[in-house]
Amino acid sequence: MTNAVELENVTKTFGQHTAVDDLSLQVPRGSVYGFIGPNGAGKTTTLRMIMTIFYPDSGVIRVFGDERHEACADRIAYLPEERGLYKKMKVRELLIFYAGLKSSADVRPEVDRWLEKLGLTDWAHKKVEALSKGMSQKVQFIAAIASKPDMVILDEPFSGLDPVNADVLKDAVLELRQSGTTVIFSTHDMNTAETMCDRIFMIFRGRKVLDGTLRDIQDQYGSDVIRLQTDGNTAALQNLPGVERIRDHGQSQELRLADGGDPQVVLAEVMARTRVRRFELARPSLHDIFVRIAGPEAGEASHA
Amino acid sequence: MRKILLLAKREYLSSVKTKAFFVMVALMPVLMSGGIITVAVMESQVDTEAKRIGILDRTGQIAEAVAEAARIRNENAIRDPETGEQTNPAYEIEIITPEEDAAAQRVALSQRVRGQELHAFVEIGANVIRPPAGGPPTAAERITYHAPNAIFHDARRWIRGAVQNQIRSIRFAAEGLDRGLINRLFNCPDVEGASLVSVDATGGVKDAVKSHEGRAIGVPAGMMFLMFMMIMVGAAPLVNAVLEEKMQRIAEVLLGSVKPFELMVGKLLGTVAVSLTVLAIYLAGGIGALYYLELEDFVPFEVLPWLIVYMIAAVFLFGSLLIGLGAACNDLKEAQSMMMPVWVLMMVPMMVWMQVAKYPEGAFATIMSLIPPFTPMLMLIRQSTPAGVPAWQPWLGLVGVAAFTVLCVWGAGRIFRVGILMQGKPPSIGSLLKWAIRG
Repeated sequence: MTNAVELENVTKTFGQHTAVDDLSLQVPRGSVYGFIGPNGAGKTTTLRMIMTIFYPDSGVIRVFGDERHEACADRIAYLPEERGLYKKMKVRELLIFYAGLKSSADVRPEVDRWLEKLGLTDWAHKKVEALSKGMSQKVQFIAAIASKPDMVILDEPFSGLDPVNADVLKDAVLELRQSGTTVIFSTHDMNTAETMCDRIFMIFRGRKVLDGTLRDIQDQYGSDVIRLQTDGNTAALQNLPGVERIRDHGQSQELRLADGGDPQVVLAEVMARTRVRRFELARPSLHDIFVRIAGPEAGEASHA
Repeated sequence: MRKILLLAKREYLSSVKTKAFFVMVALMPVLMSGGIITVAVMESQVDTEAKRIGILDRTGQIAEAVAEAARIRNENAIRDPETGEQTNPAYEIEIITPEEDAAAQRVALSQRVRGQELHAFVEIGANVIRPPAGGPPTAAERITYHAPNAIFHDARRWIRGAVQNQIRSIRFAAEGLDRGLINRLFNCPDVEGASLVSVDATGGVKDAVKSHEGRAIGVPAGMMFLMFMMIMVGAAPLVNAVLEEKMQRIAEVLLGSVKPFELMVGKLLGTVAVSLTVLAIYLAGGIGALYYLELEDFVPFEVLPWLIVYMIAAVFLFGSLLIGLGAACNDLKEAQSMMMPVWVLMMVPMMVWMQVAKYPEGAFATIMSLIPPFTPMLMLIRQSTPAGVPAWQPWLGLVGVAAFTVLCVWGAGRIFRVGILMQGKPPSIGSLLKWAIRG
């Protein structure tokens, strides 16, 4: 499978600040690729470089195999993190304008199809300023994809949406994938990344820290998590042998095993202290991995 | 190119398809010529109430004649001869006998003026007819007009004429001269301004045309205001447009599809189209009005192509500067202070235009009109004066404007590219220049 996007040793600095540091990355054609990482890690900068809004200081970016990829920009759609819509324009006019910038074909049928699909037909002739936040987010999404791009880059597409609207957009993204479109999106919602992405990429302080399928990533971390529900509270779980850390979720707890910790020993010890209602040996969730890399207590580890 | 045109079309429609646009097109000429019209309206609204003026004549030989002159004026000169409508107030003269205590009498008369019993009172000194030679004039040799706001009283001017006339008549009579003869001797024609005489194509001599104030100043002024309005209509809203795109993060979406330079040029083209639309409306209206008033000679047809060419250049020039600076700012407040230098560039021609219109061939006018940012307005003024300019100068000016415009668009394009995605502290002038030069 060829790659839709390839980054080779890409570096971008703004003044003294290195936003992206020697980054290499391959996004296979037709995949859904999730970008995760804390705020300010370099996600948006990377996406903007792929869009040729920014140019890298060094390194090579190839899109669809082409290095001078301005020519490919029309095949890529972009949904920026902050919504950029002309408030005074009417929804349909605006969509035709945005899609028309990408495509010289007649974009109206596609615009109308998406308006209908996302339940915005009644709003087609209203001004953008009359839309709610969720609606304008959907409009922005249509603006990005109505030109039938080969690849879409979505910066935080689902943030700030209610579950119903978020599902509508997720379905739309999956529909794009089915039609062979490459999708790159960034998200802070680990659940979304876990369930939707073929591959996940994490950037932290401008550097790549994770890249692969969810299974690859979880394999790196092994099955070192115990999910636990007991009748006791966290006090009953203190100082368990072989347990490195306890995360309290209120109704349940998550224990992380230290290297060489034995889950059987832990189970026996917990049973001795209180009544166990649920005991599950699991791989760490993406959320967990994210926090281990970027959480406050992980500072030293990730520097090493 | 397709994208640039699409951007231009959106920019154009977003300006033209608003109510604000129609209001502005309608109001702009009113605001611009508002001062002139207001003055004209105010002047036609004269006070026609009769004015009672007291004359305290210490010579005893003048007041009667003034009262008689006033009576003749009230009968003959205060009505429009055609409509019979009263256009000026009547003057009623009250002859006041001098009393012994002059100071007390002045106070009493002032009191009557304050009480609005009198419009004003005039005191004529005893020696005004035959003042003694030498020395500064004393109170007895002066004529004073007393009123709360004496300087602006029209009556004062009329009184002066009537009093001086009577004094001269008395003096002529004393010397045994005939007043009618003197009048005839003093009656000379005025010196009229006229254009130069030239030979036309058939070899015949074209008669000189009588110079007209309206033609000499009105037409150049009209052309300049038209140009200024076009720049304001077109270029000024660009700041808001760019700020909207930057603040609403629209720029980021657009830059995913077009290059920054394409975006800027698209906006400029849309703006030029807006200006041309407004210009077409105003020119049609203006020329129509001049034909209606049978002043078609005033239309400087030969200068109109230059107006259009210079206007396009000026909108590009100022528009690109405003776009570049607008892109560097984060909000309107910042933008306003940043725009100051550009506004100053626009205003300079407004400050010197009188001088340029009066002496279009002078060195000052020539040099100023060849400085690129001023050329569109000032060269146009010089071209529309009756004297005109040497044929090569508009072309030289155009080359200068074109070169400067290209420079501005290029530099602004580079500032725009950096600034449009930049958030946070606005850059200094120094870093703007750095962006423009280094890109």
